[in-house]
Amino acid sequence: MYLYSLTLQRATGIVSAINGSFSGGKTQEIVVARGKLLELLRPDDNGKIQTLLSVEIFGAIRSLAQFRLTGAQKDYIVVGSDSGRIVILDYNKEKNVFDKIHQETFGKSGCRRIVPGQYLAIDPKGRAVMIGACEKQKLVYVLNRDTAARLTISSPLEAHKSHTLVYSICGVDCGFDNPIFAAIELDYSEADQDSTGQAASEAQKHLTFYELDLGLNHVSRKWSEAVDNGANLLVTVPGGGDGPSGVLVCAENFVIYKNQGHPDVRAVIPRRADLPAERGVLIVSAAMHKQKAMFFFLLQTEYGDIFKVTLDHDNDRVTELKIKYFDTIAVTASMCVLKSGHLFAASEFGNHGFYQFQGIGDEADVESSSASLMETEEGFQPVFFQPRRLKNLLRIDQIESLMPIMDMKVINLFEEETPQIFTLCGRGPRSSLRMLRPGLAISEMAVSELPGEPSAVWTVKKNVTDEFDAYIVVSFSNATLVLSIGETVEEVSDTGFLDSTPSLAVSLIGDDSLMQVHPNGIRHIREDGRINEWRTPGKRTIAKVGSNRLQVVIALSGGEIVYFEVDTTGQLIEVDKHEMSGDVACLDIAPVPEGRQRSRFLAVGSYDNTIRILSLDPEDGMQILSVQSVSSAPESLLFLEVQASIGGEDGADHPASLFLNAGLQNGVLFRTVVDMVTGQLSDSRSRFLGLRAPKLFSIIVRGKRAMLCLSSRPWLGYIHQGHFLLTPLSYETLEYAASFASDQCAEGVVAVAGSALRVFTIERLGETFNETVIPLRYTPRKFVLQPKRKLLVIIESDQGAFTAEEREAAKKECFEAAGTGENENGNVDQMENGGDEDKDDPLSDEHYGYPKAESDKWVSCIRVLDPKTASTTCLLELQDNEAAFSICTVNFHDKEYGTLLAVGTAKGLQFWPRRTLAAGFIHIYRFVDEGRSLELLHKTQVEGVPTALCQFQGRLLAGIGNVLRLYDLGKRRLLRKCENKLFPNTIVSIQTYRDRIYVGDIQESFHYCKYRRDENQLYIFADDSVPRWLTASYHIDFDTMAGADKFGNVYFVRLPQDVSDEIEEDPTGGKIKWEQGKLNGAPNKMEEIVQFHVGDVVTCLQKASLIPGGGECLIYGTVMGSLGALLAFTSRDDVDFFSHLEMYMRQEYPPLCGRDHMGYRSAYFPVKDVIDGDLCEQFPTLPLDLQRKIADELDRTPGEILKKLEEARNKII
Amino acid sequence: MSVFGGDSWAREAQQRKRRVDDLALEQLNGSSYKKLSGGKYACLVCPHSPILDSPLMLSRSVLKVHIKGSHHLAAESKLKEKELMRQDEMNKRIALSDSFSGTAKCNTYHQKFRAVSKPLIEQSQKATLEILCDQTPRHSSTNRDHDVQLILDRITSRSSNPSQNSSCPAFEETHKVVASQKKHLDSEECREKELKFTAAGWKRDCHGKWFRDENVEFDSDEEDPNVCLG
Repeated sequence: MYLYSLTLQRATGIVSAINGSFSGGKTQEIVVARGKLLELLRPDDNGKIQTLLSVEIFGAIRSLAQFRLTGAQKDYIVVGSDSGRIVILDYNKEKNVFDKIHQETFGKSGCRRIVPGQYLAIDPKGRAVMIGACEKQKLVYVLNRDTAARLTISSPLEAHKSHTLVYSICGVDCGFDNPIFAAIELDYSEADQDSTGQAASEAQKHLTFYELDLGLNHVSRKWSEAVDNGANLLVTVPGGGDGPSGVLVCAENFVIYKNQGHPDVRAVIPRRADLPAERGVLIVSAAMHKQKAMFFFLLQTEYGDIFKVTLDHDNDRVTELKIKYFDTIAVTASMCVLKSGHLFAASEFGNHGFYQFQGIGDEADVESSSASLMETEEGFQPVFFQPRRLKNLLRIDQIESLMPIMDMKVINLFEEETPQIFTLCGRGPRSSLRMLRPGLAISEMAVSELPGEPSAVWTVKKNVTDEFDAYIVVSFSNATLVLSIGETVEEVSDTGFLDSTPSLAVSLIGDDSLMQVHPNGIRHIREDGRINEWRTPGKRTIAKVGSNRLQVVIALSGGEIVYFEVDTTGQLIEVDKHEMSGDVACLDIAPVPEGRQRSRFLAVGSYDNTIRILSLDPEDGMQILSVQSVSSAPESLLFLEVQASIGGEDGADHPASLFLNAGLQNGVLFRTVVDMVTGQLSDSRSRFLGLRAPKLFSIIVRGKRAMLCLSSRPWLGYIHQGHFLLTPLSYETLEYAASFASDQCAEGVVAVAGSALRVFTIERLGETFNETVIPLRYTPRKFVLQPKRKLLVIIESDQGAFTAEEREAAKKECFEAAGTGENENGNVDQMENGGDEDKDDPLSDEHYGYPKAESDKWVSCIRVLDPKTASTTCLLELQDNEAAFSICTVNFHDKEYGTLLAVGTAKGLQFWPRRTLAAGFIHIYRFVDEGRSLELLHKTQVEGVPTALCQFQGRLLAGIGNVLRLYDLGKRRLLRKCENKLFPNTIVSIQTYRDRIYVGDIQESFHYCKYRRDENQLYIFADDSVPRWLTASYHIDFDTMAGADKFGNVYFVRLPQDVSDEIEEDPTGGKIKWEQGKLNGAPNKMEEIVQFHVGDVVTCLQKASLIPGGGECLIYGTVMGSLGALLAFTSRDDVDFFSHLEMYMRQEYPPLCGRDHMGYRSAYFPVKDVIDGDLCEQFPTLPLDLQRKIADELDRTPGEILKKLEEARNKII
Repeated sequence: MSVFGGDSWAREAQQRKRRVDDLALEQLNGSSYKKLSGGKYACLVCPHSPILDSPLMLSRSVLKVHIKGSHHLAAESKLKEKELMRQDEMNKRIALSDSFSGTAKCNTYHQKFRAVSKPLIEQSQKATLEILCDQTPRHSSTNRDHDVQLILDRITSRSSNPSQNSSCPAFEETHKVVASQKKHLDSEECREKELKFTAAGWKRDCHGKWFRDENVEFDSDEEDPNVCLG
């Protein structure tokens, strides 16, 4: 079995973000690392974040930093990754790519503790960079310029110190003196030697300064001083005339200013009043903003509160450190303060925010200051504050993030054309259920009812140079309606359009005149109001029209084609006629090429299932250039021109080309390349779009021509980063559409459907899915489908939080104390963390997080949710510190209840200092009220945490710790019927098929078991020889399981056929063998048949088909919020082709950050029988000559390779 | 066959002959004859393996020269007897190995052939028979009863052939077994019930009495198999 791996939705979480002007000049961009993805984002003028570039680097990005050489205008990007190399990138604005400037190897690849890559620090003047490992090693590279002003990098200078752990490093701004780097270090050498633990308890963190002596070209430890053992983060303080230099050490509860030869200036971080005393306050992310005259820091705590830190200083002496509460936003991984007055907050979990500064909190009242620090016998006096609603920040955009995906199911609950993907995302108060549908999201701008059912709609400008459309023209079966676009859209009658007849086409002709084609003629409305009318000869009517700005072709009933051109005076003149053999089904003219008088090609579709290309050259006299036969009569034709590109915005090299698209009556979109010289058709592709014949319209998307196809659902064909993508839109069936531009909506679409006129825009191009979000209360863990009523049952749980009632009570109390008199918050709806910030909720949990409780407190709930209405029909909050861990539906045989719900819970679970629990339970619920509600039948105490539940032969299988147990339903409790205690660690998944049970162990992969009724025993008959830490599993077939481990690998194991047969056929069932075992395990071993390193922890797997009638593929979701698919190849030829393409891509286009592709995909186990589609899909981003070279090696053309790639993608989605 | 190749009629004739041979042989059991390299056939049923020139002599068609012969018929019945004995021995050994590996199971054959003469252990044999009967026909691949049934089917189908009438004593014996098995197959529901009890955690003691497995939990009002199975 060979699989093709393809990422469907790129990772949405962010691990690190930096900002700077990477394209040079004034504009500021943000570079984010999303695990294995490097992206360049830029806020546009409307304050929306746009993704300019997204590169998969086939490696793990661990740290990012930006630097600027003195006097330069442009920032470079330094990437610390798992490649054992330091990479310096430069963003190339013209080609829209990251250029690798330098790549220096220093160590082994992989995330190891002593190989640098984890930390990066930059000298603020851009003269050196330090790259550090978690332990021991630190390397300093000197950055400089050569005579041609190119960036140079020195050989590395070592600043190693063995037996030292590093917590954070940063550059110290000391002007143009020798560069200094600061590090928080812990020396463990003594603690390692001392077995009594005395030294370990006395271990002390130090702040160490390393000086790079540029003259001597070496690094020395300059200064070291003890700091708080809670110190975790360093922040550079401006120096060299801009400030006092030194660093801010962020420690638990404190921020300390430190510098060599300077006394510590310490201030306590204010605490939320409701924080339990046992909890400290840690700073998790920091941003520094520096202007000419001032600088300040924004520090965010682990609870989401941002504090503004300012330093009062007198030259180099810091007199006071002030901490002022700024605002509270969701906890971030990185914050970027942009010069434009925006804050980019890359959230740790959930959606990322983009905020505008409304103020910078420069009021004098500060919460905490070094001057007011009080020290008593118990230590420093804490300072309290009350979080409030946003005051200094205003959210203007958010970027959706699925991180982390906890569970996923692909089901077609809504009976749509394609199934929906239900994902449980997020954590704590920011958790949600997201329904993903393949397709682009649209945002509807307006819907207005029209008098009657319109058949067609057009938009026209008054002049070629106009930016916006002037009229919307709607055609009905016997009339035409003209609407003018202004502040409002209203009907007008003085435009010269004939309104008593239906229209066939309306467009701008020449520079400034309008044309209306109706069945009886062509009406040409000149700019000054003169009207020329051309009438059809005899009783014939116009059937079809094709036009561009200078040419019009009409087809009369009976098959005659008449060709008009606009002459130099703006007059429409009949040029030529041509008689076709039969009626014309559709027509289209290619757009006028730039700098030309006319387009050369006319495409005519006939009912005899052919498409002809006719020449419009005056010399040729409408000669037929080529004929293409198609599978069904064409319904609609559209020429789509693709401009030549050498990278640039769409990031790909390709020559200009002309495509002819045809919507056929059988619902297929047929697409072929038109030779721009000869008009020959070649390289045809077809794709089934829906049950209705697609109607094709040309619209503008991001300034480029794109194609809208209206079949049983709308589709958009557009070019994105070199790929032609044909993606469905998540919208209802449309009848007719036209592009629409007005000052409110620059790139919209106006469409008619039913009796309504709709205006909408298409958003977030390049994305595969659009999502609908339903907020949840706690971190969702698992969910099951209640099959009869199509309801979802979700279990949610959180540690260290208060229950909804307690929170509500606390909130009320707090409001009463604050005197705001907020009292309508009592109802249950408000307890949900509704993502709606417009709500009058002053402290939405989504932003402020839940108040923290002691860490041994659990809250949990079971929710029945109707996804159709997005409403919760039942919510059971578990009491007494109980938390739900597993869920399944079960039908007990011979029992009267029908489908029951089993939920495994644990009471008072603690992980630290060691794992303990008060009790475990299995709750059995009955569905009442048509499945909308739950009623507890009974609960059974068990000795461990029931981490996996599954129905098996009318009974319930439960994995409780390392015990697999079979339960039957009793009157007052579950009855233990049979058990097997031979599992190695903890059972995390159970799947069943016939009499086989597939058990996943948390640490030791799969175990295949059999249940023998006649002996009432469970036997393990096969297991895996590789200890895999399972995170997800899925049953593929009788002998095969797919699994994913916590190191980011996906693998398939299969029981060899002969072993499987032996098990099934052996009259004793191989029992003698079972009893013997092999190597302390089961007697039979499974074979690994597929292995692939995804590079991200896969949390859920499911086999599903995302396209109607398509083959099934294995879909996976990851912690970083990405979705991918593994598709099995059906032909050996494809395997050969793609494995060769992959091989050449590996050779010719090694990954950006220096990780070897093969090494990356084999990071833990050698990759086996999986072809990396993500690498293959980078083919169109290669330079043209390289594309051609690879294509030659494969004995194909680049076009054919692109077609293959497109086909492979279309098989999946 | 023409040595010159081409469309000679001889080749066709040769093929026709071969086809006829094949058809003639098709009805025969493959193990009862052997085609020799010289194109002749040897009968494997008769102990002296006579060589026959044409398959028609073997076949059961109008000629059936050899097969109808009394020598052959006698040899055939002897062979069948031998076969049955072997099967019998195999089942016996399987059963023995089973009881060796833990559960006190006894083979049907064991019981049928030996038990009659040993009335002392009749009681325990009854119990073992019942345990054996617990296996549902669903576990067909592992079910010995089913295997027996297959063998019997084969034998009965052969003996139903009117052209031969063997009076092998073993055959008569197995016929009785068939009858007794049939009876059990009819009481499938009963067995299913028993299986349900084992799956629910009931066990049987050496007297065939049901008792509760101490590691298994039961509902207060659970059915007692001792009562409901009588």
